[in-house]
Amino acid sequence: MGIDKELNIKDHLKLFREEEFKELFRDKASKYESKIPEDEINKIKEWHKSREYHELNWSREALVINPIKACQPLGAYLAAIGFEKTLVYSHGSQGCNAYFRTHLARHFKEPFPACSDAMTEDAAVFGGYNNMYEGLENAYTLYKPEMIAVNTTCMAEVIGDDLNAFIKNAKDKGHIPQDLPVPYAHTPSFVGSHIVGYDNMMHGILSQMSTPSGEKKDRINIIVGFDTYIGDYREIKRILDLFGVDYILLSDPSDILDSPANGEYKMYYGGTKLEDLKDAANSKATILLQKYTTKKTQELLKEWGQDVRVVNPIGIKGTDELMMAISGLTGKPVPEQLEIERGRAVDAITDSYYWIYGKQFAFQGDPDLAYGLSRYLMELGGEPVHVMCTNGTKDWVEDMEKLKEEFPQGKEMNVYMGKDMWHLRTLLIQEFVPFLIGTSYHKYVERDLNDLGFPLKLIRIGYPIHDRHHLHRFSIIGYQGAIQLLTWIVNSIFDYIDNDTKGMATTDYSYDIIR
Amino acid sequence: MANLDLEQLFNESNCNINKEKSEAERKKGCTKKAKPGLAAGGCAFDGAQTVLLPVADAAHLVHGPISCSGNSWDNRGTRSAVSQFYRIGFTTDVGENDVIFGGEKKVINACKEIKQKYNPPAIFVYSTCVTAMIGDDLDSACKKASVELGIPVIPVHSPGFVGSKNLGNKLAGRALLEHVIGTGEPIFTTPYDINLIGEYNIAGELWQVMPIFRDLGIRILSSISGDSTYKELTYAHRSKLNVVICSKALVSLAEGMKQKYDIPFIEGSFYGMRETTKTILSIAEALGDEDLIKRAKEYTRKKEEETKERLKPHISLLRGKKVLLYTGGVKSWSMVFMLEELEMEVIGTSIRKSTEKDIEKLRHAFEKNQKALIEQGGAKDIIRIMEENKGDILLAGGRNMYTAIKGRYPFLDVNQERVYPFAGYDGLVEIAKHMVNTIYSPVWKYAENSLFMESAL
Repeated sequence: MGIDKELNIKDHLKLFREEEFKELFRDKASKYESKIPEDEINKIKEWHKSREYHELNWSREALVINPIKACQPLGAYLAAIGFEKTLVYSHGSQGCNAYFRTHLARHFKEPFPACSDAMTEDAAVFGGYNNMYEGLENAYTLYKPEMIAVNTTCMAEVIGDDLNAFIKNAKDKGHIPQDLPVPYAHTPSFVGSHIVGYDNMMHGILSQMSTPSGEKKDRINIIVGFDTYIGDYREIKRILDLFGVDYILLSDPSDILDSPANGEYKMYYGGTKLEDLKDAANSKATILLQKYTTKKTQELLKEWGQDVRVVNPIGIKGTDELMMAISGLTGKPVPEQLEIERGRAVDAITDSYYWIYGKQFAFQGDPDLAYGLSRYLMELGGEPVHVMCTNGTKDWVEDMEKLKEEFPQGKEMNVYMGKDMWHLRTLLIQEFVPFLIGTSYHKYVERDLNDLGFPLKLIRIGYPIHDRHHLHRFSIIGYQGAIQLLTWIVNSIFDYIDNDTKGMATTDYSYDIIR
Repeated sequence: MANLDLEQLFNESNCNINKEKSEAERKKGCTKKAKPGLAAGGCAFDGAQTVLLPVADAAHLVHGPISCSGNSWDNRGTRSAVSQFYRIGFTTDVGENDVIFGGEKKVINACKEIKQKYNPPAIFVYSTCVTAMIGDDLDSACKKASVELGIPVIPVHSPGFVGSKNLGNKLAGRALLEHVIGTGEPIFTTPYDINLIGEYNIAGELWQVMPIFRDLGIRILSSISGDSTYKELTYAHRSKLNVVICSKALVSLAEGMKQKYDIPFIEGSFYGMRETTKTILSIAEALGDEDLIKRAKEYTRKKEEETKERLKPHISLLRGKKVLLYTGGVKSWSMVFMLEELEMEVIGTSIRKSTEKDIEKLRHAFEKNQKALIEQGGAKDIIRIMEENKGDILLAGGRNMYTAIKGRYPFLDVNQERVYPFAGYDGLVEIAKHMVNTIYSPVWKYAENSLFMESAL
């Protein structure tokens, strides 16, 4: 701080605004950039506002612009890292691996350990088994995992590598010990999205690591799904502990993705115990907190003969359903503590709901979050008008259509699947709503719309959130999570109102201290 | 100590109760003393600020320890397009030394600094419990400051201990009558000049009814005191008619102006279609202009038709819903009419801050079916009445809002912190919209059922 000031050191926020740089940019623009005239830019801006442009945009068939989805391996990474001493291993190109690690690290602000066998051109021609043998051996020697969870990238999938055979051969040839568990999943990026990858990896790990012994234990499994709120894992554990229920949380990344700064780095930290994983098939039931993220896994659980419950514990009704599911499966009453928390959440909503009712929202993100948040917004009296999932599926659309009928607030809800952020952009211009719930990427939509004269306000809920810190630490599920979401939503509304009324001697008659 | 002349303050010849009282009783006034040990409402200081704080371009200096200013700082929903100056919290921040040696000098010095920094047209100086008890001579301090600075410095004798908020309203009214009204002259006058008394532009309600006056060619000469300037108050005595909006608070000011300046006054309300129309017609009649009366009749008829049309979709959702009104003053009855216009059923209303006249109106309104007139309020009573009558919504103020929420009743804030304006024809549509939103909010469904019981079964 002090020394920066002394030496007059400026960062990029300030440095390039100095006259010297301004001149440099101007000079470059006028001489070499064949700059587009200002009025031409304004003309295009106006065109972007037109219905015509919107219709052209929505009739796009080939081009996808700013899709709000990631690919399968990214989801597989999150599923796999939640198991004890498990190495996330990607069979395919090294670049994919680097991307996923970066992307996840930027969200969690934590290192994300994962490795790849770095397939190259010769592997593309002759098959990737050599990379796999060498990769598994090196990874095992170097990182000493107790389990390696293998996923694939597109490259391996296009040439059709047989993971099962490769892993078996790697063991037979002595590259890795015979008894080292190496569950795998095929996760081509060109099919589905990160939520499908999560499902495939979870399915792979469960099906290959656990088999029912015939005996059913009085215990329930919990699968959270592709959930990037660390607090959610802790919240579900706390809730189950309050119930006094015996449970196994299948994939629990809450330690490794939120580890303390205590002077040492642990590559493996916390996670679901492997012995629990092996016994998971013997639990009498499983509760899944996401639906569209766990389709294949649900099938497996049913094959295991388990009582399978899917709930979406976002908001009051969603959490009520979770409570009833736990209570119903275990025969235990809802603990008084949780009943009190429910009362607090309802109290918090009633403190704020009159600022939310009648307000209109748009959402873009993952389908499970879309469902839970839309329902919660309606519980708050808000109106989700545009709900968009790039990776939405038909069954999701059907569910959303049913949800609309449950609330009068759902009257104007439009549900879109397969649409990208550029679709959202022109849709919001044509059918404007003031609040958008989305990811960090949506700040561009916010800025674009603001620039075009639409006062859009972004509320960051979802994945990824790269440009705001610590939001991922909180919980958005359960009654506590309902309060957290409410806090973000209602305070964003106040920020919006304050911003809208702060005009000196123009609109500040409504710039109030009490809201 | 506080140099109060209660006798004069309660000189309300129109009041039925006063008429029946003996001379001696009348002198005591009718302000109710708060019962020790009970949760009570605001004090006289708070009441004085209610009336005067909306004078937006004046400085409001609180002569007292920090919390009088600190707790009231920018706490009212009164709005002004004139200036946001009134939102600045000025205080002498009286400390231990001042208590021992007196704080008059501090008042003068504070006024000097205000003048230097902001140069406002006037300064209101409020006394508080502490400064009244230590015997600061506020009148003389203000006089000195005023002479020295060349701007009016108005003492407002409003120590909290003298009584309720309502008494504070009257004290502020007296300060206006003694020190402000009659000290200036308007540039011109018209035969259609009126004052609105007791409309504080909470949530912009004054603005909501202003188009009505504009359309009819009636000029609001002085608004006492919503969205007002100091200057417009100084020439309030040139108006042809005073229209008292919140009757209990400032009817004494209207009485005073009648005696001093011979300005007649009427009481009115802008809550609900019928009351708004009635108020407008009585203003027209009081001004006595045949053409105006004709126009007003035509105008209100048209407005009512329009409003009825706009209300239709809301009424279908509100019809028969049971509402408990817990508010004060003129609202206690005028809002009853308003709610009945929405075809809702009023199960009770509070009368704690209402005048006898207000109550009379209520008795009349409730003649057919005996409803609860709540004298002494409180959270528990509210919830009890809601329970007994299976109420659907509670209309009250911020202090009771959180209680209602505990009782899990839909709630709409109709008091000082209300967020939305409900005055005039537009206000009726507005309140209908908000009641629909609140009654039909899905949250109440969740609030009702207990998971605990369900899961145990």
